[in-house]
Amino acid sequence: MYRNYIKIAIRNLFKNKVYSLINISGLAIGITTTLMIGLWINDELSYNNHFENKATIAQVLQNGTYNGNTETGTAIPRPLEFSLRKDYNDNFKYVVMSSWTLPRYLEYGEKNLNFQGNYMQKDAPEMLNLEIIAGIKNGIDDQKSIMISESTAKALFDDENPIGKIVTLNSTDDVSVSAVYKDIPSNNSFSDLEYLASWDFFLATNKYAENAKTQWANDSFQLFVEINENITMDAVTSKIIDVKKLASTDEAALDPQLFLFPMKDWYLRNNFEGGKQVGGRIENVWTFGIIGAFVLLLACINFVNLSTARSEKRAIEVGIRKSIGSKRSQLISQFLSESFLIVFLSFVLSIGLVLLFLNGFNNLASKEIVFPWYNKSFWLVSLIFIAITSLLSGSYPALFLSAFNPVTVLKGTFKTGRNSSLPRKILVVSQFTVSVALIIGTIVVMNQIDFAKNRPTGYNKEGLIQIPVMSSEFKGKRDVMRNQFIASGAVTEMAGTSSPMTEIWSSRSGYTWDGKPDGFQEEFAQTSVSYEFAETLGLKIIEGRGFSREFPSDSTAVILNKSAVAYMGLENPADKYLRDKYNAVSLKIIGVIDDIIIQSPYSPVKPSIYLFEKGNYVNYYNIRMNPTKSVADNLAIIKSTFKANFPNLPFVYQFVDEQYGQKFRAEERIASLSKVFTLLAIFISCLGLFGLASFVAEQRTKEIGVRKTLGASVSQLWMLLSKDFLKLVVISLTIGSPIAYLLMTKWLQKFPYRTDISWTVFVLACSGAIIITIITVSYQAIKSATSNPVDSLRTE
Amino acid sequence: MSTLVNIQQASRTIKSGGNSINLLDSIDLKVNEGDFISLMGPSGSGKSTLLNCIGMLDNFTEGNYTFLDEPVHKMKEKNRVKLYQEYIGFVFQAYHLIDELTVEENIETPLLYKNVKSKERKALVADMLDRFNIVGKKKLFPEQLSGGQQQLVGIARALVATPKLILADEPTGNLNSKQSQEIMELFAKLNNEGVTIIQATHSEENASYGSRIVNLLDGSIVKS
Repeated sequence: MYRNYIKIAIRNLFKNKVYSLINISGLAIGITTTLMIGLWINDELSYNNHFENKATIAQVLQNGTYNGNTETGTAIPRPLEFSLRKDYNDNFKYVVMSSWTLPRYLEYGEKNLNFQGNYMQKDAPEMLNLEIIAGIKNGIDDQKSIMISESTAKALFDDENPIGKIVTLNSTDDVSVSAVYKDIPSNNSFSDLEYLASWDFFLATNKYAENAKTQWANDSFQLFVEINENITMDAVTSKIIDVKKLASTDEAALDPQLFLFPMKDWYLRNNFEGGKQVGGRIENVWTFGIIGAFVLLLACINFVNLSTARSEKRAIEVGIRKSIGSKRSQLISQFLSESFLIVFLSFVLSIGLVLLFLNGFNNLASKEIVFPWYNKSFWLVSLIFIAITSLLSGSYPALFLSAFNPVTVLKGTFKTGRNSSLPRKILVVSQFTVSVALIIGTIVVMNQIDFAKNRPTGYNKEGLIQIPVMSSEFKGKRDVMRNQFIASGAVTEMAGTSSPMTEIWSSRSGYTWDGKPDGFQEEFAQTSVSYEFAETLGLKIIEGRGFSREFPSDSTAVILNKSAVAYMGLENPADKYLRDKYNAVSLKIIGVIDDIIIQSPYSPVKPSIYLFEKGNYVNYYNIRMNPTKSVADNLAIIKSTFKANFPNLPFVYQFVDEQYGQKFRAEERIASLSKVFTLLAIFISCLGLFGLASFVAEQRTKEIGVRKTLGASVSQLWMLLSKDFLKLVVISLTIGSPIAYLLMTKWLQKFPYRTDISWTVFVLACSGAIIITIITVSYQAIKSATSNPVDSLRTE
Repeated sequence: MSTLVNIQQASRTIKSGGNSINLLDSIDLKVNEGDFISLMGPSGSGKSTLLNCIGMLDNFTEGNYTFLDEPVHKMKEKNRVKLYQEYIGFVFQAYHLIDELTVEENIETPLLYKNVKSKERKALVADMLDRFNIVGKKKLFPEQLSGGQQQLVGIARALVATPKLILADEPTGNLNSKQSQEIMELFAKLNNEGVTIIQATHSEENASYGSRIVNLLDGSIVKS
């Protein structure tokens, strides 16, 4: 029986090639989109799955309230560790203090390479499930040991056995390689952990860290924990929430609240607002999940529409089958098996398409998704998915077609009535509503990115490079290097900073000034900078001056940004003093610079303090290249100057404008994904429209013939045939636009610095949709309008 | 002779634009097994409607209809289909073969709906092909056949499930006179073999093959 159904279905496919092509390609595109999105969502949701104890690992975060503004930070003070170990130890399996993941040099023989890594306490390898390839698992128990990843081992040692080899860390400290671990796969936290060194070693080699032992106010470190299985995260949080507040009366004013941030949320739910978790990437997961479902729905709608539009052709068959003894249920199964066949073919096709486009998609989405050939649950889900899609697209046509009365249809006078096209119209409208909403949404996302990109950064980021100089070999070399660079002709100016121009590494409180309101809980972004800071970056000084070699007293001077002045409520900031709770020397304000965007281009600029870097302890050189020379020439000269001074160190540099551009990556990714999905949605909708238009043209062949013999012109007929479809699209526009407006207004809310949704967006989207409709429909309309009326009338 | 079809005071009324139209009005008709009845009358007199109602594709709105002593008018759709699958075969003026199926498959389809086993199906279809001399055409599609040949297939399809009653609605309406003659002779032969036949026809000549003529006018049987 089913063989017979399938046979008929296959013959029907071949007989109506255009129809089949539209149906299968539309569905295949829809399914491909859904599959891609499905794989993407699965990838997003499986983030950190590498860690066996994902469910029990957490990072300790803290909320602090500054002037009523609660902020959430990942940095915690060192004494917290001791407190947790002493008073709350029974809650934890592991407590692991950690530094920050930073690039540092590892030197072995001739090689001196830059690697990302951390200093962590000894339980880290166990907690992070490091898979040991060579050496020992507890490889950082000894503070003079270092564990390295497989790729680090390859890069440093080639084929030599790394175990027991001595490498130089940070150009100063010799450590011995105790273990090689398998690289942590991408799509996991710590996937950039190229080496792991001992926390004790970190304390021994970093004075500030050692000194922080008792400083509750010094939020400079990270703390990871794995909790015991018999207790919940919330329970632990409620125990430790006030530890810092109770331990430090000074800090209590900021109402510090500690809490566990579970590993399963690190990636997907890492946005905090007012100390509360408010989502994160999970929103994108939802958004794209919904878009995927919609695109599939659009394809299913095509199927439904085309099947019912074709019903007059299928009606006779239904009549015959009923007259030779078919039950309705048998007809329903026949039509359902037909749609199953089509969906199945589309699915096979779409697997091919997924394989074809997976690479491009991975690039677009910055993913490394591989096709899950061997994943049983993938195939199971696919099967369910095929069944659901078949039912979704096949059940209405099946019920509709199988209900025909054989007597009526076999009489040959059967015509589906006027109302029968109503569901079809509703479906077309919903298709275009979705498409229009997607078009508008995509335009708004792109506008927002442009808007933020056009926001003045406050410094000239073109022709600016940064060189990380964290290694101790650079100490004391800043002025020497500056002079040599300038003398080389490739550089016009250079300044050192404690953090790159695109990041804030330090936030500070504990300052007082004249006129500071009582109870004011300040928090400043703080960066240390050298001489020529303003000159190198091209900053606008709006009051006073920058740091200058002509004023020896500048060693205790400070520069503020405009936001800081407003934040502090200073009237005439120049020559006023800033007193530091932790330092006896008062800082003299010598200048105010216009705000520069360091962090998010979507947010207001933070009140910032620029301290003078007395010695040469800076972490980055910012180098303004000579604009009269080509970038390549400049870089070659800078490199040779660098190599002449540091022959053993690799020349590492970044373009600041590129670094800045990365701030838009997340949004740009959303934009490019939505562009693709929008195009697909439009394409699928047009495919359906095209198919529908051809059926309508076919249905109205006689009418057109009669009208032509009565003297209608081609353009009149074209209007006649296109009008109905245009009407539907206009209805879709009226529904889709406000929906898109509401959704996008909500999306924009998350950017403090945001564009308005201008009316031109709607004009653009609507005229685009109308033009596309006209083009799609006109082919059929003109084709039938120009056909010979004699031919069309003869067929009746 | 046992009674196959017994229709008493049966009517078929439809509503059209607020008016009731009597397509069939108080029909009394008894058909015995082995009868060959010709329904005659002008267009619109109700021939096809009566045929469809007897064939259970359509229903009387009033009156009684028993088929082999089973009260059809009281039956549920499901049982009606069963009865119908078992005992009735239809032949149409426009043949109504399924375009996407070959000759062989067209003939096989009623057996599929009756859930006949594959082996038996093959045998029955082969029988039919043989009987109508169309073995050579079994792999062809309807559009590759002449009208007469298509109607042969149509009749073969109607007969394959060995029905007691063949209902033929203008079976030769689309055929030329030679083809018509052949088809009518076939009907006569089938009737001789015991198949009951009711045909609707305009043609006196076709009607002459039958054993009895029933004249219809405006939905009523004209007493002769």
